[in-house]
Amino acid sequence: MTWPHETYSKIKQLPLEEQVLPGTSLCAGCGGLETLRLAAKVLGEKVVFVNAAGCFTLLAVYPFTPFHGSWLYTTMGSAPAGAQGIRDALDVLIAKRRLPKEEDLKVVVLAGDGTTYEMALSATSAAIGRNLDFYYFCYDNEAYANTGVQLSSATPYGARTTTSPCSLQHPAGTVREKKDIFEIWRAHRPPYIATLSARYPLDLAEKLARASRIAGPKLLLALSPCPTGWGFDPFQTPEVARLAVETGLWPLKEAVQGEVTHTYVPKRRPVEDYLRLQERFRHLFEPTRQEAAIRHIQDRVDAYWSRVRAEPPR
Amino acid sequence: MVRIRFHGRGGQGAKTAARLVATAAFLEGWMAQDSPLYGAERRGAPMTAFARLDRAPIRERGMIARPDLVVVADDSLLADPAAHVGDGVEADTVVFVNSEQAVTQLLERAPCPGRLLTGDLTGLVLAQLGKAGALSGPLGAVAARLVGLSETNLRTALVMELGELGLPVPVIEQNLSMAHACFELVQPVPLRQNGDRPGQPASLRTPTYEPPTSGTARISALANVTVRKTGGWRTFRPVLDPEKCIGCWMCYLHCPDGAVRMTGATHPLIDYDHCKGCLLCVEECPTLALISEREAGLVRRSS
Ligand SMILES: Cc1ncc(C[n+]2csc(CCOP(=O)(O)OP(=O)(O)O)c2C)c(N)n1
Ligand code: SF4
Ligand code: SF4
Ligand code: SF4
Repeated sequence: MTWPHETYSKIKQLPLEEQVLPGTSLCAGCGGLETLRLAAKVLGEKVVFVNAAGCFTLLAVYPFTPFHGSWLYTTMGSAPAGAQGIRDALDVLIAKRRLPKEEDLKVVVLAGDGTTYEMALSATSAAIGRNLDFYYFCYDNEAYANTGVQLSSATPYGARTTTSPCSLQHPAGTVREKKDIFEIWRAHRPPYIATLSARYPLDLAEKLARASRIAGPKLLLALSPCPTGWGFDPFQTPEVARLAVETGLWPLKEAVQGEVTHTYVPKRRPVEDYLRLQERFRHLFEPTRQEAAIRHIQDRVDAYWSRVRAEPPR
Repeated sequence: MVRIRFHGRGGQGAKTAARLVATAAFLEGWMAQDSPLYGAERRGAPMTAFARLDRAPIRERGMIARPDLVVVADDSLLADPAAHVGDGVEADTVVFVNSEQAVTQLLERAPCPGRLLTGDLTGLVLAQLGKAGALSGPLGAVAARLVGLSETNLRTALVMELGELGLPVPVIEQNLSMAHACFELVQPVPLRQNGDRPGQPASLRTPTYEPPTSGTARISALANVTVRKTGGWRTFRPVLDPEKCIGCWMCYLHCPDGAVRMTGATHPLIDYDHCKGCLLCVEECPTLALISEREAGLVRRSS
């Protein structure tokens, strides 16, 4: 089955215009920034970003901004509420004809995984419940990165963070599983959810284009390799990102009106190839190999993909 | 007291270097204190770390305004006003700069009042690890040597501190051998001991507030961030060989910062004012048309 591309089937169809300009003080090689830049190209110029505290705070540090349009900074818990306020204001202005319809803006929440999987989850649930017409772009770096790489609900099993070190009690690091936010959103029945990877730019662009045609709450969940927090050299961002998908750990998929499609089915390299590149998993290999933990991660991925295979194609 | 200030870029290991020299001094029977200072910027941006060593208890805290020894992880920092390398450096301050260049060459470009020493630690790391990894071990080793600590205690400190960071055994061993090379590279220097000089009195700066009309956090100059040049973050730069370029857009698409432009032409244009030197584009280029080149010291070839 080939996943249908309706808008972007060639790299050179992607817009040349930059929507996130250079000069921000995010880390060199930040996978989150790379993904946002690609996504913003497709969203275009008429966007207002609602940014929850996190690394992306550093996008716009007063008095500088990388955006052509507006940026609203909110606390971690209240970005979806901020988006609601902006959406309401735009709707009221348009209804009163104080703003021409053509000047309507897309409302986009920018949030890290700490915000998305934890702090703003109840506000998000409420916003989806109200069928708020907004995009929720989560750059998932699997930790509270901006405050020093602490454990979040997105941290995967086996990863070491500053608050989940590997210790005698927990030689494998984080013992709990990554929360499945894709399914939590899906249980709310929003019209659109997708996972993204900057390493698959056409898949990414196509999903953003598709989301743009749908009203209502839309989640764009981007795995964002973080050289600083995950412990690899910035030039390895591409390799880490690619292996996350190729090992099957980060499935590329979307759910339109709740119906899930995998947009890319990897041949599946061993998860070890991905884990080995990163300092946050090093204790799984050195000084003694944590065979059971590595096996556990592989088994979870295998089980996921065998469930996918068991599902009939759409 | 010996006051050491490290200057590095986020990710180069200056913080750990301060920790290493402090631990080595502690093992040698000294009192020791170390602390890092980061700004809001992240990996690649200038940062500072401090270490204080003394035979007597250390009661001083905070930033070191008048260092006795300054260790600079990257010679490009000398020309970076945001790095403040020269702050409080006096004629008898020892300044070690990690650089391929000789002292005279460096001095030509960045007049520095202190006693300047150089050594090519990046070259050493490249030769040992095959890539420009973290410089913490070599920087800590140079500092320990200049201060006159023993190699034995430094080795123990390396094993303790790098082990705690979770570095694998082979990497720690490579650091031990690099530390040995650093001990050969520099000699202990008689450092001034300015502990008995009066410290800088703390001064309280009263903040001034703008009136509400001009003081709101509203930004009206949109998309103005480009005035902030982040090109100084680089240690390596991507360089294009136009002959090999097939114009595939990979470098342009994937540069996180948007520092590669495709201006309708077939070849990409690298915006060196904003390229942070992550080398992601070099990794992405399918034809090896982009190669990484070590940033030529203080020479900033802007294009
Ligand atoms: C309610 C609240 N608690 C704590 C903080 C401090 N804080 C600022 S950024 C941040 C981390 C955010 O993590 P995440 O959402 O994962 O984004 P990342 O840092 O990874 O970009 C925290 C804890 C805050 N701003 N608000
Ligand atoms: S800490 Fe990670 S996510 Fe945050 S700016 Fe740096 S690379 Fe990006
Ligand atoms: S090294 Fe390449 S990818 Fe990285 S900032 Fe510079 S131009 Fe962009
Ligand atoms: S990735 Fe390499 S070949 Fe492709 S456009 Fe860039 S420099 Fe040219």
